[in-house]
Amino acid sequence: MQSQTRVYFPYVGPFDPCPPKRVKTYQVPPELFITFQPANLPQYSPSEALRLGTLWPALFSPYNPAADRAGGLG
Amino acid sequence: MTPANNSFDQQHYYALLEELQAIDFVLVELNLYLDTHPTDANAIEQFNQLTQKRWSLANEYEALYGPLQNFGRSYSGFPWQWNEEPWPWQV
Repeated sequence: MQSQTRVYFPYVGPFDPCPPKRVKTYQVPPELFITFQPANLPQYSPSEALRLGTLWPALFSPYNPAADRAGGLG
Repeated sequence: MTPANNSFDQQHYYALLEELQAIDFVLVELNLYLDTHPTDANAIEQFNQLTQKRWSLANEYEALYGPLQNFGRSYSGFPWQWNEEPWPWQV
């Protein structure tokens, strides 16, 4: 499953007031790629759904900015 | 049975609450899903089954630990249980 994090590289100018952030990340959760949710998708169990924040694995989006930022040399 | 000061079975208390919370979450998800998929019979059937399960769970909880809601949405034992500990922020 392709990671849901994408990376971009902001412009770093000579007059930047603060130390530059060379790599920034943004999330592309699955709902961006599903126009209309199909019926009868597989589901998590109630306790799992509560913990993961969604009832359907197809829509699960692991949002972990710290790890992404570290991974993205942010 | 009124939960005075931790004299009640905490483990069961929290297990019941967590299961109720999980069922409520699934019901929220299904409700939102059904808003846009009104003809999905399976989802409607699941929703109704879970609603029934949610009621039985809530009734079981209230029989043991007092009302979940007030203003006529839950029964109370004697004496009045609504303002007893643990309050929601203490749970």
